[in-house]
Order: sequence, then structure tokens, then C-alpha cells
Amino acid sequence: MTTIRRFCCNDLLRFASVNLDHLTETFNMSFYMTYLARWPDYFHVAEGPGNRIMGYIMGKVEGQGESWHGHVTAVTVAPEYRRQQLAKKLMNLLEDISDKIGKAYFVDLFVRASNTPAIKMYEKLGYVIYRRVLRYYSGEEDGLDMRKALSRDVEKKSIIPLKRPVTPDELEYD
Amino acid sequence: MASKLGLAGGIPERRVRPIWDAIDSRQFKNALKLTTTLLSKHLHSPYALALKALILERMGKPDEALSVCLNAKELLYKNESLLMDDLTLSTLQIVFQRLDHLELATSCYEHACGKFPNNLELMMGLFNCYVREYSFVKQQQVPIKMYKLVGEERFLLWAVCSIQLQVLCGNGGEKLLLLAEGLLKKHVASHGLHEPEALIVYFSILEQQAKYGDALDILGGKLGSLLMIEVDKLRIQGKLLARAGDYAAAANVYQKILELCGDDWEAFLHYLGCLFEDESSWASETINTPINPPKYVECKLTHLTDEVFDSCVENASAFVQKLQAEASNDSLRNPYLSHLEIERRKCLFRKNNDDNLVEALLQYYSRFGHLACFTSDVEAFLQVLPPEKKMEFLDKLMKNSNSLSVVPTRALGQSITLLKTQELIGNMFNLPVAELEGSAVQMAELYCKNLPLSKDLDPQESMHGEELLSIVCNVLVQLFWRTRDLGYFIEAIMVLEFGLTIRRYKSLDVKNILMETASHHILPQMLASPLWADLSNLLKDYLKFMDDHFRESADLTFLAYRHRNYFKVIEFVQFKERLQHSNQYLVARVEAPILQLKQSADNIEQEESILESLKCGADFIELSNEIGSKSLTFNEDFQSRPWWTPTTEKNYLLGPFEGISYCPKENLTKEREENVRGFIERKSLLPRMIYLSIQSASVLYKDNSEINGSLADPKISTELKALLERYAKMMGFSLNDAIDVVVGVSRGLKPYEVFGSDVIDWLNFAVFFNAWSLSSHDSGQQGGERTPGSWHVVNSLLENYILGKLRSIGPLIQSPQGDLPILVKLVTEPLAWHGLVIQACVRTFLPSGKKKKKSGSTDQSISLLSNAVRDAIQGLCSVLEEVAKWSQDQIKIPEDNKIDLLVSSLKRNGGAGKVFNILETLASSPNETQLGDRISQALRSWSPVDVGRKIVTGQCRVLSEFWRICESRIKSLKTLKQQIAQV
Repeated sequence: MTTIRRFCCNDLLRFASVNLDHLTETFNMSFYMTYLARWPDYFHVAEGPGNRIMGYIMGKVEGQGESWHGHVTAVTVAPEYRRQQLAKKLMNLLEDISDKIGKAYFVDLFVRASNTPAIKMYEKLGYVIYRRVLRYYSGEEDGLDMRKALSRDVEKKSIIPLKRPVTPDELEYD
Repeated sequence: MASKLGLAGGIPERRVRPIWDAIDSRQFKNALKLTTTLLSKHLHSPYALALKALILERMGKPDEALSVCLNAKELLYKNESLLMDDLTLSTLQIVFQRLDHLELATSCYEHACGKFPNNLELMMGLFNCYVREYSFVKQQQVPIKMYKLVGEERFLLWAVCSIQLQVLCGNGGEKLLLLAEGLLKKHVASHGLHEPEALIVYFSILEQQAKYGDALDILGGKLGSLLMIEVDKLRIQGKLLARAGDYAAAANVYQKILELCGDDWEAFLHYLGCLFEDESSWASETINTPINPPKYVECKLTHLTDEVFDSCVENASAFVQKLQAEASNDSLRNPYLSHLEIERRKCLFRKNNDDNLVEALLQYYSRFGHLACFTSDVEAFLQVLPPEKKMEFLDKLMKNSNSLSVVPTRALGQSITLLKTQELIGNMFNLPVAELEGSAVQMAELYCKNLPLSKDLDPQESMHGEELLSIVCNVLVQLFWRTRDLGYFIEAIMVLEFGLTIRRYKSLDVKNILMETASHHILPQMLASPLWADLSNLLKDYLKFMDDHFRESADLTFLAYRHRNYFKVIEFVQFKERLQHSNQYLVARVEAPILQLKQSADNIEQEESILESLKCGADFIELSNEIGSKSLTFNEDFQSRPWWTPTTEKNYLLGPFEGISYCPKENLTKEREENVRGFIERKSLLPRMIYLSIQSASVLYKDNSEINGSLADPKISTELKALLERYAKMMGFSLNDAIDVVVGVSRGLKPYEVFGSDVIDWLNFAVFFNAWSLSSHDSGQQGGERTPGSWHVVNSLLENYILGKLRSIGPLIQSPQGDLPILVKLVTEPLAWHGLVIQACVRTFLPSGKKKKKSGSTDQSISLLSNAVRDAIQGLCSVLEEVAKWSQDQIKIPEDNKIDLLVSSLKRNGGAGKVFNILETLASSPNETQLGDRISQALRSWSPVDVGRKIVTGQCRVLSEFWRICESRIKSLKTLKQQIAQV
């Protein structure tokens, strides 16, 4: 019951039911449109009957050399469609695209250190905590940088956890 | 170029860097100082000047910035030997753009490109300029030159996109597509293609010309391998085959897609479309395609014979069974919904398949009934059933409710689904009051019983059974409809607040694009509210968001060009157009200045300066002229709205409105489009009519030579008359008939009811008619009265209507549904505009020193008029005093009394309060072991009195603002009274 297709501008007008949830951030227009203009393959939406938005994933691919990687900027599912493994489907899609089209070494994401349900979900999907980023969220809460290695990283070097936490200005990308 | 040599715009880079650093760290003063030093060494450097302009603009000195920019531009043009580098030009471009002078930036680049014809960097800059100006034709010509110069694929695609834009968004004929196709064909023959996006553009060019076969050949050939994801390729192939009419082959392709992605609903619909040879499945979107299309999937079946239909259904069923068998996990809904869709089509074709559809729905319930999306999944299928079959389905479901799942959360989900289905079918409208109330009670009990399930949930997660509270709330609204017992409203609010106590939401964060899709929840109500500061912020934020997007959208389009995502280029331009046609945006653009005019209506000088900033309303007249032929878009998200939410047209809370709960509201779009168009057409005349009315009253008895404006007396009168004619026509009358209506009502010969729902418009009309009479020489014949007559008409219309309202309005706390919004409108619109006419008249009476002595006959007219004005002031004053007194009386009732009144409405015997009692009982003694710490604590903090206080405080705030508006209006009228006494 889910058509997963590339996100398009008109979906911005359909995603209110997803974004009114207080854990989903509504970014400014140039943020969404920059992602659409630069990484349209990494921005997908799941749609149910009647063009209802069930959820979406937004990401990009960036980095240099062996840190060339896919990044999950946001993944979210509407309350009505939760507990149907939709987030997993969307994550798998982004991993697949990062792997096959992007030829990336790994996929990473940031999550609030307090968001236990989300961390558990990502762990189930094969992500490991790579490092802790101190006061990543508005200078208040720590973030966790979680990673999953892709086929190009044969030795899984990219996901060996760092021993010490880092500060936001030490991050290579934002 | 220059920068490669360590030079920036001809200046050593090390000298420029500190300036940029200062700009980046927002130290503009320092940056300016450094630039001044730089300019002393490089007196005639356009780049240094461009930097200075940039800094000045950032410092908020646009005029100076513009003049420096123009200076730089002049130097660039004059000095042949100077470098024409992109750095200088792009810096100038930034400043020109921020100063809203795109055309100047464009002409700089045009000049530069003329001088250095083969410079790729400059050409790119020029292309960028045309993208910003949305000049699609010029935008095509530049990259063609670039392509000829270097033969790069991307420049060719830039040109091709520009051609597509001419066809889709400009006025280019479809023949242009042939040109685009030719260009691509030639390039492919010599160079091939390297970007998948380029291939997609190629397909769309062919598709738009219906050359599906050609596209299919390309897809099957070597170029097809550019598309790396198999499903993407199949989707294109299926669509092309179907559009080419080869449905059998297309059906096979869609089968393949479904075998790869068993859950793809759209693919299934296309698959059916192919089997039934129904091309409506591939209709293309236009700019005003609704953003949330009707849930009902359009399909065409009438062209099929019985045999063909049967064999199609047989094939489809066999395939769906296979999909069901192969479905690896239980959560795949698609194969089962597909079965429903087949049964639905059978119903549509034969009309005797209802029982099978009901059976299929029951099966779907047994599998997915626990999911929150069950009802929205089945909505479209229920729609084809006749009412009695819907009821039959519901009855069967209800019997099922005895055999719920053993897993508690699942069982809860199933129970909620039952209730939601009952609501969807509209059954609740037919239940007797007692039964309806009984079901609300049951729901509340179910909620309480299941609350322990949420014991261990994170406070941020949604609670199990939360939805029950909103269904209860819907039922309570219906109970109000039936009984008119206000207690049910209060109870509904209590229920929602109760839910919020347990799950603490922050306030809804409506920002960015959500302002376009979610503002409708409050905007219509705010427009009728006296909370002007809040309304002003709402409008300002929203308009800023939209205008910012319109400003930056072209830059983002260029970004898509640069990153070779050509398809997004078209999408971005179309999206911008969709937002520009947004009905809400157009309404806000009209309402924002009208709000300003309302806010300053007590002070004619301020009002005049606002009018001046609005070009005396001229732009709005243009909008009013255009709106009839403009297509409007409706981007509001109605799915998140309860069905009883009041709209601009109807206050659903005041029901009963049969069938509203299951009537898909998006079907009303056509009707709404007409309404909004009419509304904008009428409202946007207001600023100009206000302006002309003031003029009309100001030129009265003055020498024409004293008038500053360009309008001379007869012109004002003629234009105002023309607008009055238009205004009357919009209300369905000729000018003379409309005048007869207002005169008739004012004399009590006709009832106010003849105004219908347009009272405010009629009263505005009367006000402007009076203003026009002041300067018109033919009003005597038109209205059958001279000046004092038309004054009398307006005065008595306003007085009688407002006082009538006041007499019928009850205490606000007991009848919140009453006439407050209309009262606010009366005071802040027609009465305010009338006040302005009065102010303008009084101003002309006052000796300005320059005036010559008027002749005797004029003196007589003046005294006639001043008497009329005096009466008007007196009349308005006493009306406003009544209104202010009423507001004050409401405010003065002690808060505790009001809260008591609210809470006690829930504690009477027989009537509202049964649901409330259940929740109260739960909150008074929460079972901590069952509910856990957090929920128990939340329950203990529940306080109905606090909710009551919130309601009362809110109401008081509104009343106080209204009272303040009345008071300030009274004060201003009293001043006028004193002034006129001296005449």
C-alpha cells in the first residue's frame, strides 16, 4: 500500500500531517529545495491511497576519499502509519542508493542522545554508535553519530567507534 | 581570469580578503573603512565600488548603495581597458538583486558578454540573470551559444529545459518541443548522453509530443542503461506503453513492478488501468490540480463488454492471489487492498456486487482492523456502497467486536477502528440523542480502561487510544447540534484538554511551508477578530515567508541547473507558480493593507499616508480586475482538520449539517474558488474606495486649485461612481437598485434580511455612496435625495443594525457562538470608513488660513452639511458608547462567576457532563501501579477550573481589545465634535 517515489515540491504541501508532529522539524524552503536540487535521489516519500503522505526520508551524499558517505538528514512517519516498518523501508532505500548509485563507504546519521526509541530502532537496522558529539543540538543536548558500513567498505573501517567524544566544530560536515 | 592571477577584480587578493572577512563577520563599519582605504588607491575600480555598495546595502542604506552601484556600472561601461571579470559582475549582481533591480544586473552582464563574446564564465552569469528574471526565451539563447562553443551536454540541457519552460509556463507553442527534440537527437548521435537526468528530460520532451514509440526505442537501447534502478526504468516503460495504447505490454510491465515491489499501490492502479484499457489513469497534473485529490479513484469502465470485463477481472484476481501468496510478511496491505479495488470495480460495472465488496471489507478488517490507517484505507471503497449496504457492513463489524484480538493494543486498535468506521459512514447522525451520548460514554470508558497500556511509553510518544478523545469530541459537537446545550461544547473542550494534560504537547510549531498549509486553522477567525496585533503578525509572517520564497526560488532553480537535475528546474518553476496563485496568499495580500487601514481609521492623516504607500489603492484595483481570469490554487491541508472546523463560508459548529462528517470536503473546491474570487474582487476595491471617499469629502466646497492630488473633482466623482457600480453589481444589483435597497432598508420599508449574508458589504456600499454624494452633481437624480438624505441613510442603517444586534446578543459566556464577530466587523469596517468621511468633512470646515471667504450660497450649503455631519458624529458616538458599555459589562462579570457558569454546565442533571464525569473520576484517584508514575502525576494535575479560566481569560482579552477600539473611536469622534462646534 506504499508507493515510494522521489519527493517533489508538491509533497511539501502534503506533509503537514507528518510535520505537525512535534518531533519533526519543518525546515525553511531553501533547505528542502537545496536537497531537491542537489540530491534528488536521496529524498523519497512514501505515499498511501489518496496521495496521503505516510512518511519521508531526506538525505545526501558527501565527503572525500574513504569518508564519502550517505547521510540521513531526516526520516519521519505519520502517526497513522507507525508500527508498519515504514521507517525501515525508507532507510533501506537510502542505504541502497548510497551503496549502488552513490558508491559510498557508509551511511551516517545524528540522533539526540536522549531519543532512546530511535537509537534502538537504528541499532536494529544495523547502525552502531560511532561517536558522541557534545552539545550538538542547539548547544544543549549531545548527539550520537551512528553509522552503518556499505559494501564498498569491505573491512568495515568506517564504523570502528571513536573512543573520545568530539565537539561540533570538529565535525567534517554539518 | 583575473582571480587566477591572485587578483580580484584587478586588485591584489590580499587587499580584498580582510574586507570579505569583515563582511562575513558582520562588521560592516570596519568593512566600509577598509573599502574606503582601498578606494583611495583604486579610485576607478568597479570591484572596489561594488564592495562598497554591498556593504552599504547590508548596513541598511539602499539609496546610497544603489548610487554607488550605478557609479560602478558606469565605470564598467566607460573604461574599455578595464577587466570585465565575473567577480565584479557577480558582486554587483548580488547588490542589484537585493535592491530589487535585477534588470540592472542583467544589463551589466549583457554588456560584458557583448564585449567578450566567448567568455563562458560571463555567459553563465548572464544565463543566471535570465533565470532570475524568468525570461525563458533569452534563457534558451545563452546556453545554446555556450553549447556551440564547448559542446558540453549540460549546456544543451539548459537550453532544452528553457524550451520546456516556454511551453509549460510561458507562451511558447508546442512546436518548440520539436526544436528541443532535434537538438537532443543531434547531440545523442554525435556524443551520446551521460546523465540519467538528461535522459529523463529527453523522455518528457518526446512524451509531450506523444512520441511514445520513439521514447520506448531509446529506453530499450543503449541509453536505457543510464537508469540504474530497475523499478524506475520499468515505471517509465509502463507509462510509455500505456500512453502509446499498448495496454497488454504495459500490464506486463506493471506486473513486473508489483513482483519487485509488492506494496506499490500506484503501480497496482496503473496495472488495472492497463487491463481495463482506461487512459484516465495517466492524466497529467496541471497547476491547479488539487494538492489532495479526491480519495475516490477515477476510472472508466463503460467501454468494456461483459466478456472483456470478466476476463480482465479474472486475470487481475489471479495475479492478486499470487501476490497475496507470495507476500513475505503480514504487514503488506497492498495485495489485500488490491482485492478490494477489484471488488469495487465490479460494483461500479455491474452494480450487483455489493455483498462481495462487503465481504472483502470484512476480511480486510480481520487482517488490518487494528491499524490506525484502516479507515483512511477503506474510505474510497465504502463510497461506492449504497447507504443500506454501508449499514450492513457496520452491523457485521459490530458483531465482530465480540471477538477482538487477545493482544490488548491490537484489540484497542480494532475497537477504535469500529468507532471511526461508524463515524465515517455517518451513522452517528441518525442515532437518538441518548444513544449518541451512550456511545460517547463508552468511548471515554474505553480510553480510561486502556490508559495503563501507555504506562511505559516515552512522554513524547502518542498514547494508546488517544484518538478516542477526538472521536468523543466529535460526538459532543453533534450533541450540541441536537440539544443546543452549550455544556456539550464545554465538555468537548474539557475532553481535548484532558488528553493534553496526559501527553504534553508543545504548542503546534506552524512555520515555513506549514504556514501555507496549516494557517487555515485560525486565519479566517483571526480576520474577524479584534486581536489586531496578533493578526498583523500572522499576516506579516505568512507574507514574508511567501515573498522570501518568490525571491529566492530562482537561485534554487539555478542550483538545480548547476547540479544537472534538470527535472527539478521545471518542478521549481511550476511550484513557485502554484504558490503565487495560492488563494490564501491573495487573500492575505488584500487583508494585510485593509488591516492597516482599520488600525489607523481614527486618524485621517495616518490613514492618508498608508493609502499613499498603497499607491492610493491602484494596485488592488488591478488585482480586482485580474482575479476573475486567474486560476487559484488551494494548498490548505484539510486532512488534519476535524470536520466541524468552521470555514470562512460556514460555521459548522452551529450545525446541524447533515452528512458533513463523511462528505469529502475537497469536493467543495470549485465552490470555494468562486467564493474566494468574489471575495478578493470585492475586498480589493476597498482601499481605492476609501481613498476616493476621503478625496470626495475633502474637495467639498474647496477651490480646485487647492487640491494637491492629481485628481480633480469630477474625476473623483466619476471614478467613485464607477466603483460603486461595480460593487453593486457584485452584490447582484444595478447602482440605482442598490441605492433603492439601502434607502428602503434605512427607512424601515425593507427588512435588513434583504442584505442576506453580505450585510457588511451593503453597509460599506451605503458609506461610500454617501461619500460620493458629497462631490457628485448627479446624486440628486440617482438617490432621489440631496446630501443630508444620504447622511441620514448611512447613520440610520448603522445605528439600527448595530443596536439591533446588541439587543439580541446574550451574555457572551453563555452564548459564545453569538454575534461578536459581526459586531467587530461593523465597528471596524463600515463604521470606521464612515468615520473617515466625517473626519475629511470636518477638516474642510476648519479655517486653514489660506481659504478665501466663500460666497453666501456656499455658506448655506456648509451649514446644511455641517448639521448633517454633527448629527452623524452624535449618532455614531452614542452607538459606540452602547457597544463599549456592552463589552465592559461582559468584562466586569467576576472571573470566578464565569468559570462557575462553565463548569456547572457540566454538572446539571440530564444534559452535558457524563463523559466529563468519567474523566474526573479517573483523575481523582489514579491507580499508580497500573498507570505508572508519570501518567498518575499528570492526572493529578488535571484541573477543569484551569481550563475554564483559560476560556474566560481568552474571551476577556478579545473583549478588552474590542472595547479599546470602541473607546479610541469615541475619543476621536468627541474631538471632531468639539472642532465642528467652532465652525
